[in-house]
Amino acid sequence: MKDKEIGFYELPFGPAHSGSGNFMVKLKVDGERVVEARADPGYLHRGFEKLMEYRTPLQNAVVADRVCILEPLSWDLVHAEAVDEIMGWDIPERAKYIRVILAEFTRIQSHLIWFSGGSMATGFQTGFMIGIGYRDYILEHIFEPVTGARVYPTGYIRPGGVRWDLPKDFDKKCYNVLKKIEKAVEDFDKLLFSNPVFKERTQGVGVLSKEDAIRLGATGPIIRASGIETDVRRDDPYEIYDELEFNIPVMDEGDAYSRFFIGRMEIVESMKIIRQAMERMPRGEYSLKVNPFMKMKKGESYARIEAARGEAAIYMVSTGDRKPYRVKIRGPSFLHLIPVLEFLLKDQQIADVPTIYWSMNTCPADMDR
Amino acid sequence: MSWEEIIKDYNPTIQRERRIWVNIPKDKVYDILQNLKNEGFEHLSSLSVTDWIDEGKFEITYHLWSYKFKVLLTVKTKIDREEAKIKSIYPIYDRSAWIHEREMHELFGIEFIGNPDLSPLFLEDWNEKPPFRKDFDWREYVRSKYYNKENEREKAYWEVWLK
Repeated sequence: MKDKEIGFYELPFGPAHSGSGNFMVKLKVDGERVVEARADPGYLHRGFEKLMEYRTPLQNAVVADRVCILEPLSWDLVHAEAVDEIMGWDIPERAKYIRVILAEFTRIQSHLIWFSGGSMATGFQTGFMIGIGYRDYILEHIFEPVTGARVYPTGYIRPGGVRWDLPKDFDKKCYNVLKKIEKAVEDFDKLLFSNPVFKERTQGVGVLSKEDAIRLGATGPIIRASGIETDVRRDDPYEIYDELEFNIPVMDEGDAYSRFFIGRMEIVESMKIIRQAMERMPRGEYSLKVNPFMKMKKGESYARIEAARGEAAIYMVSTGDRKPYRVKIRGPSFLHLIPVLEFLLKDQQIADVPTIYWSMNTCPADMDR
Repeated sequence: MSWEEIIKDYNPTIQRERRIWVNIPKDKVYDILQNLKNEGFEHLSSLSVTDWIDEGKFEITYHLWSYKFKVLLTVKTKIDREEAKIKSIYPIYDRSAWIHEREMHELFGIEFIGNPDLSPLFLEDWNEKPPFRKDFDWREYVRSKYYNKENEREKAYWEVWLK
């Protein structure tokens, strides 16, 4: 115990720390040891749930992708699904395939950023450059030609389908990018996952047990790294995931290294999904005809998807008006960054804080909403 | 008792495969959630509030997911808008319930009795009405707080909003 006169030192981690994003954890430290961590969110709170009550579904499609900058298409998808379910729409088969392909590319590029952050947190700048570099292939050759913008797709996946069809040379571009991603996985295997320094910094750090993962509400790669086999794509299938073959990687250690490694294995599975979807994609319509001034049906829906960070969900209530009555957005990072992170940082060294923080696959934007 | 039997008396609606909705009176919710948790609904996917201002009620919605049965069960309950208080489910779902309740307390002003920490989360120095309630007019708030009436250049905003 510390004597009373000296006390503990309060160390703010963020909100402008290069490793934290727009988010702060207040650490109470005793020497090098963290005694207590307290998350302080709100730097990116934009009130999307309220904003959406004032807009029609087609306008909301554009708002929805702003929820998380690192994976905008996943949030477009979950919003579109919530509206589709209220309206009772069965969207064209081709639109489902396009949605799945883009959602998986979003997962890959989001995981590459995750590895970049993880490398940076352990002082490995080369890894940061590699991750950001490979991600750019997806932005440049997939997102820009398909959605029209590199990062924000401005509601490309919208209620009733997608905004327009894939470009003509999409096949070629897609397979070329996949080749590059294979190379990226190889590079990360060589440089990051077999790197003794990275292993030393991450193995056995921030261990989350099975029981704690459930108790604290962890989802996605975080809970799979703790040994629970669950995936919304498999357990609660949406779009065409029940027709595709893919594995769900699971690891038992629950430490920072296994969380990163789950991400690496998910990239491989995502590539498998994209290849299958590309082969089976039918021709035909890409969207239903949607009247921008339509009235929504009365009802409610709870749409869940597996985003790169975990379970993303939207609860939507409609009273039969042109605008939804209530929209609740459930961001995976809301649970990962507040209860889970506060729990994991306790009794850790200060130097491990960025490692644990980045191993949560963070996105402060979908926490604050 | 299986989970189907727990909610049987309350006429659950099956929306589609893996989506079940059920309305439960306010004073029974805590016990039923406790039983459902014990039966395998371990994951509190989300906790949300809907402001039915015309009825004078708040609707609290618990979205539960079961890893075992692979079912999303939504438990809904209504409380009076004037007396917005309900027993916290912190003892059942622990920290994951705590953080959702803390958010809903801040945005809707609902008192969760038994929650150990309902301190402000996103908003800073907020003295107004909870902002996600339907009777909080954000346009009026922004206009009174951030726009200057005497400024000629901001007149356009005024004219649009006064219509």
